[in-house]
Formats: sequence, C-alpha cells, structure tokens
Amino acid sequence: MAEQQINPNFLGEEPLGAPTIRPPHSKLSAGEWLKTNLFNSRLNSIITVVVGALLFWCGYLFVRWIIDIDFTIIRDTLRVFMIGSFPDDELWRLWGQAYLLVLAIGFGSGAHARRNHDQALLQGVASDEQSLWSLARRYWPIIAVLVFFASFAKTFSPMLLVITSVLLAVATRWLGWVAPAALRLRAGFIAAAAVIASMLVVAGTSKFGGVVVGLLLFAWAATELRRGDPATSRAQQAVRWLVPLAVGIVAYLVIAAIGFEGFGWKDWGGFHVSVFTAVAGIAIGLPGGVLLALGRRSDLPVVKTASVIFIEFVRGVPLISLLIFSIVFLPLFLPPAWETPTQLTLAIVVIGGFSAAYIAEIVRGGLQAVAKGQTEAAQALGLSPGAMQRLIVLPQALRAVIPAMVGQFISLFKDTSLLFAAGVLEFLGASTIANNQPQFLGKGLAPVTLLFVAIGYWAFSYTMSRESRLLERRLDTGR
Amino acid sequence: MLLAIDDTDMVIGLLWLLGIGIVATIGYVLVRLTRQIVSVFRQRRYDRATGQLAPLWRDSKVIAVVAQIVFGLVTVALVWFLWNNFTTRTDRIGLKLNFDFLDQPAGITIADNPLTPADTVAEALVAGFTNTIRAIIVGIPLALVLGTLIGIARLSSNWLLSKLATAYVEFFRNIPPLVVIIFVWSGVYLTSFPRPTESWRPAGGWLVFNNGRFGFPSVAGLDNFGSFRLVLLLALAVAVGVAIWRTRVNIATGAPHHRIAWASGSFVVIGAIAFVVLGGPAEFSKPLLSENGREFSGGIWMQMPYAALVSGLVLYTASHIAEIVRGSIQAVDRGQVEASEALALSGFQRYRFVILPQAMRIAFPPLINQFLNFSKNTSLALAIGFAETTSIIQNLNGQSLPAPQLTLLLMLMYLLLSLVLSLIGNFINRRLQIVGR
Repeated sequence: MAEQQINPNFLGEEPLGAPTIRPPHSKLSAGEWLKTNLFNSRLNSIITVVVGALLFWCGYLFVRWIIDIDFTIIRDTLRVFMIGSFPDDELWRLWGQAYLLVLAIGFGSGAHARRNHDQALLQGVASDEQSLWSLARRYWPIIAVLVFFASFAKTFSPMLLVITSVLLAVATRWLGWVAPAALRLRAGFIAAAAVIASMLVVAGTSKFGGVVVGLLLFAWAATELRRGDPATSRAQQAVRWLVPLAVGIVAYLVIAAIGFEGFGWKDWGGFHVSVFTAVAGIAIGLPGGVLLALGRRSDLPVVKTASVIFIEFVRGVPLISLLIFSIVFLPLFLPPAWETPTQLTLAIVVIGGFSAAYIAEIVRGGLQAVAKGQTEAAQALGLSPGAMQRLIVLPQALRAVIPAMVGQFISLFKDTSLLFAAGVLEFLGASTIANNQPQFLGKGLAPVTLLFVAIGYWAFSYTMSRESRLLERRLDTGR
Repeated sequence: MLLAIDDTDMVIGLLWLLGIGIVATIGYVLVRLTRQIVSVFRQRRYDRATGQLAPLWRDSKVIAVVAQIVFGLVTVALVWFLWNNFTTRTDRIGLKLNFDFLDQPAGITIADNPLTPADTVAEALVAGFTNTIRAIIVGIPLALVLGTLIGIARLSSNWLLSKLATAYVEFFRNIPPLVVIIFVWSGVYLTSFPRPTESWRPAGGWLVFNNGRFGFPSVAGLDNFGSFRLVLLLALAVAVGVAIWRTRVNIATGAPHHRIAWASGSFVVIGAIAFVVLGGPAEFSKPLLSENGREFSGGIWMQMPYAALVSGLVLYTASHIAEIVRGSIQAVDRGQVEASEALALSGFQRYRFVILPQAMRIAFPPLINQFLNFSKNTSLALAIGFAETTSIIQNLNGQSLPAPQLTLLLMLMYLLLSLVLSLIGNFINRRLQIVGR
C-alpha cells in the first residue's frame, strides 16, 4: 500500500476547514491581455482577425434572423410541445408528477450534498459552499429554459408551475440539508418513493402500484434489518428475508385493494414524454444493466454467452430499428389473449432494454476498475459470492461510473427524439404537428420550431453534462 | 465462370449467416457446459477417492452447473413461449413466415436511382444498403477531419479561436443529432437555396446548387477509358511501392524521404504519359440541368436529403470527435512537447511528428466507437426521406409486405455493418498500438 498522506488538520495544527489559499491572480491590463491572448504571434493575429470577422458576420446574420422571428407558432401550439394532447381535466396529475419529481430531486440532492459536506469536514478538506447563488449558477440553464417555455403561454398557470417548482426545489433541498440524520440516511428511499409516486399519479393502476410499492417496501425493510449486526443464526437470517417479504406482500395487498386508477398511457406527448421516457429508460436499464454486466463477467458459460449476445446485439443496431421492432415484433410476442399495449408502453420496454445494454458496458468498466485485492480480501473474510458483489464490489464499481451513467442519461434523453419512429409524438415530433397546422402549413416555419426544440434539449443536456463533470472531478479528488 | 450471385442470394446469405451464428453459439455453449460437467464428475470421483467428498448441495461446482442448466431451460422455455405466441398471432393475421417475398416486385421508387416499381424487394434492399454505405464513406472522413481541427482549435493559444471551438462542441454535443439533421435540411438547405428553375450556377456552370440537388463536375470516360483506369490502378500500386522504398531509404540512411512528393510525382507522371498515349481517354463532365429543373445529366449529382444527412451528422459527430482528440492530445506526456520545443520544431512539425501520432494511438479506440455511432445514426435519414436502409424498409413495410421479416433483415444489415466496421477498427488499432512493454 502506498503511504497515506496525513492531513495536518488531523494533528490539530490548523482549525478544521481552513480556507485554502489560491495563487494570486495576475493582473493584466486590457492591452496586455489582448496581446497575450489574441495577438501573440503573426499567425495568431491573422486567425484572430479572420475568426473575428467571420464571427461578427455570422452573429449579425443570426441576430437579424432572431429579431425577425415571429413566435406566434410557438405561442399557439405550446401545449402540443409541452404535453401533447393530455386532456384538461387531468392536468392536475401532471402538476402532481412535477412536484413529486422536484421533491425527490431536491431532497435527495440536499441530503447527498450534506453527506459530502460532513465527510469533507471529517477529513479536514474544504467543502463546497452551499449557497443559493452557487445553486443558481449550477442550474441556471434549466431554470432559464423553463421560464422561457412558460413565457410563451397564454395563461399564467404554466409560469406558476415553474415558479412554485423552483421554490419547492430550493425548499426541499434545504430540508434535505437540515433533516435529522435518520431521515438523511434514508434519503435514497424517500427519493425513490417520491419518483414512484410521481409515476403512479399519472399512469398507475392499483395493481401495478401495488407491485412497485411492494418491491420498494421489501427493499427498504431488507436494508433496515441488515443495518445492525450481521446475522449469526439461521433463524435470524430467515427473519431477515421473511419479514421484508411479508411487508412487501402486505403492501401489495393493501395498495391493490384501494382501487386506484391513473390516467393511463394514451394521449401523452411533447416534452413531458421525452423526460418521462428518459427517466423510465434509466430506471429499467440500471438494474438490468447491472445484472447483464455481472452476467458478462461470470464464469458460467451459459449465462455469459446469453449476456454477451444480448449486449452486443442491442449495441450493434440503431435505436430506430429497435423502435420499429417495438411496433412490428413486440405485440406479436405477447400471449394471443392480451390486447396490444399502447405504442408508448412498447417503446419504453425497448428503450429500457436498449439502455440496459449500454449501462451494462459502463458497469463492466467499473467492475474491471475494482482492484482484485478487494475480491480476494472479501473471499478471505468468508463472504458468499452474492454478499461479496453486494457489499464490496458493486458499491465501488457503481461509484466509479456515476459520471458515465449521467452521460448515458443525457444521450438517452437526446435519443428520445427518435420516438417518432415508434409513432410517439415527443418534443421534436411536436414541431411537425405545429408546422402541419393549417394556419402555419407551408410558411417555412420549421427553423423557428426547431430552434425552440434545440434550446430545450440543449439546456437540459448541457446542465447535466456540467454536473457530471463536476461529479467526476469530485470523485477523483475524493480518493 | 464466376458464380452468378443476384441480390436475393445476398439477402438470403445474411439469413444463413444468422443461422450459422445461432447454431455455432448453441454448439459452443453446449460444448463448454459438457466440459464443465465432465470436470465436475472427475473432481467428485477424486474427492471420493481421497475421502473429502462434499454433499451435492454444498459443492460450488455442482451448484454452478445446475444453475446454468436451470438458466438454460428457463431461457429455452421463454423462447418457446414467445415463439408459440408469435406463430399463433401471425397465423391469425395470415402472415406467411418465409422469405419468398424477396423475389416479388417491391413497388417503390428511389430518388436518383434507376430502380423501378417492378424491381424485386431484394434489389431495393441492396440499393438502400448501398446508400447507407455511401453516406458512411463520405461522412466519416469528413467528421474525422473537422473534429480533429476543432479539437486542436480548442487547445489553441488564441483565446477567440479556443472559445469558439468550445462553444461549437458544447452546442452540438448537447442537442440530438436528429434536430441537427432536420435543421440543416429544412432550416438551411430548403430555405437558403433557390428553386430548381432558378438554380445558382457559380464557376461558369461547373457547380449547380438548388434546393433539390447539388451538381459537381465529374470525370467521364471516352474511348480507352477502361485501359486508362487499369493503368491508373497500376500507377497507384507503383506510387505505394515508391513511398515504401523512400521510407526504407529514410530509415536506412537518414536521408529525407519526401515520400508524398515522390509517390504523387510518380503517379502523376505515369498517369500523364498514359493519358497522352491512349489519346485522351477522359474528360471533365459538366453538370447540366434543364431549364424546368427536372432533367439533369452529366457531372455528379447529390440529392439534398443526402447532403443534409451527411452534413448534419458530420457537424454532430465532429463535436464528439473533437472532445476525444482534445483529451488524447492532453494525455500525451508534457515532456514530449517540451522536448520538441527544445529541438526547435515549428508548431506544425510539433503536431505532425510528435503530438498527433501519439495522441491518435490513445484516441483510436473511442474513435472507433464514434464511427460506429455515425454509421448507426445514418438511420436517422428516415426522418428526412433519404432512401437508405431504414427508410427503404419502412417504405416496404407500407407495401403490404411482411413487416416482421423485413425488420429482422433491417437489424441484420446493421449488425453486419457494425461487425465489419469494428473488425476493421480493431485490426487498425492492433497495428497502431506499441507492441511489447
């Protein structure tokens, strides 16, 4: 083992969390700055002049185009862009969904940030400032674009939704930061519960909800029971499996008995469906991907071959062909007695499998990065293969691949633009509908709607990719 | 005599490949499993002889074998169940599960392609696949060049240039490729270029631009063109030989190799002699467009959806390639740059001889991935109606032809493409890497 550097803060020489001193900024005058950065050689001077002129000209054309744009088409069809043809009476479900998602993200990230902060304090490392200002600097593109979207609305209610959501995000993040430690420890479950509730509000039925809630409660109870000392006797081990199982089954029976009916999967569209599909794709793909990655690394030839074939097949064909598969093939595989599900359901199944294959490759990279000594040490301690994966290997492997996972989420979010091939009218497909409205047909307004769509995609992807880079840097320095 | 292979045979060959793959995989798995079972038996016999036999349910090797058999049986049962549903449902809608339709007339036409509605489905599929390949062959080199330039520009000491490159990368990386393609198509090409009747004809009519297609000059053959082409091929071989010879001389004696000048010189000289001897076998052909903008001849014509697909994908992929190139340039050891500065190499020489060769070695594996992504993304042409594989299949799906079989063929074609591309990529990668160490 390499020798550990002992932080002097542990020796009590400096107060905890002492400010790190940065090298002084070199002050350049404007002229000097120009000289070093733009005109430091003959070639650079030429480049500066040419690029500057080109930039000026393109910027001029672009600004003139922007000024001339008439956004009536967006104003008239904003609803199609945002939620497709979701009916008026059911709009409260979307509001509920948005608030619950915001709650999950806010509380989860608040608790996570607090944990990092506490850990940093413990190690005597300076931790990040958690001010409103720093949050605004990190998430401004998303907030700006939401306000931009809402500004096209003819009524005030979308803006109200945006404003209350942002306020709720700030409030729940603060809650996650100050909540008692017992709650913060279980932040993952709280966030997962909120996400599941957000899905159930819109598309849940009581049976489906029962299954999902039952699984969640099962996982929660199992973790709670394992939190203490390791099980010693066989009876204790049995209790640790049976009690969570009982909790899950009871939860299923209770929820299934309520007779709750969601809106279902029809009439979805616009930005809502893009975000929903991406989230659902990751939610299905994450567990599937972990299983596939473990299967690919297993010593059992049957399991390994099956995983390799699935992963390589999915990665070898374009997503569009899989979406065509979801329309053409998938309904034919269902038992003859079933009716054909909606196209969105089929598409989500395929997108879940698609992201599972890609996540499997990411997780495989993480698994390979776990030092062999770790598994050997776990074996020496007498852990069973399952316990070894669960307690030693996977936590390290998954932690190492979080940034890559965010990257996969971004590319999945961008890939939702292909849903048109499965007959789902998502955010990009809405621009086709807008341009086919009789009053806008043949007026060449496609660039305007596409600009609007591009801004929406860009703001979300850009913010997430910046977050992932931040995470990457933090994980690197955290070692 | 050569074997007469028509388009139907090629498509059927794809299915044969699939079948062979499935049989080979099942065989491989069964052999591995049998071997494992045999070794378990041997182990247990040995254990019994030495008196350390564990009970069956505690023997991890037995558990492994049983688990695999159970897994395999469950998989087989699942496949059987799905297949059963599939045949029941296809029976009910009266779908025949064979590939006879490949010889039926396709009933579709493709822009700028001699295909007629009477031509067979197999011919349409091959035409579509050819269009996919055309997009890939033109697009990947362009994306590589543009991406490398932008990646280098991001590291430039010129503030304006590096910020511009950063803005480019951050913009294109974060919007879906489909948005880029549709924007290029409907936002740039359809609106900025004139209608065919009012085409732009810059450079004395040697270039033609309108919002339907672009025309460029090409080379047309006259008499003796076949032999001229043959001579050019020979000249190319000679040029490669000369380049190798110059490289060897350079390695042996240290004399400057000037291999590009030597190779292109010999190619041009042989070509020029052959051109004169054969009595002018080729001429430039001017793209000609009739006044009504419908008939076109001469030159080489590019349809607008093709141009939009390739340029949109190039813009998008270049942003990813730029990031890879920048990362690998930064990964080159700093000492290398300092050493080349100490040797007083110019900026260009530093990149050409020291940094880029090493950076490319690091960059190549992720670049292969981008090339694969590019080739899969050509399927986005479905949205703008360029008749490549996916569009053709979707077109045929609407012609009351059996959609499941066509979709299977669609996926097989892309699988084959990905497989071939990654094989080529891995081969080059192995050549690039330093051996040993």
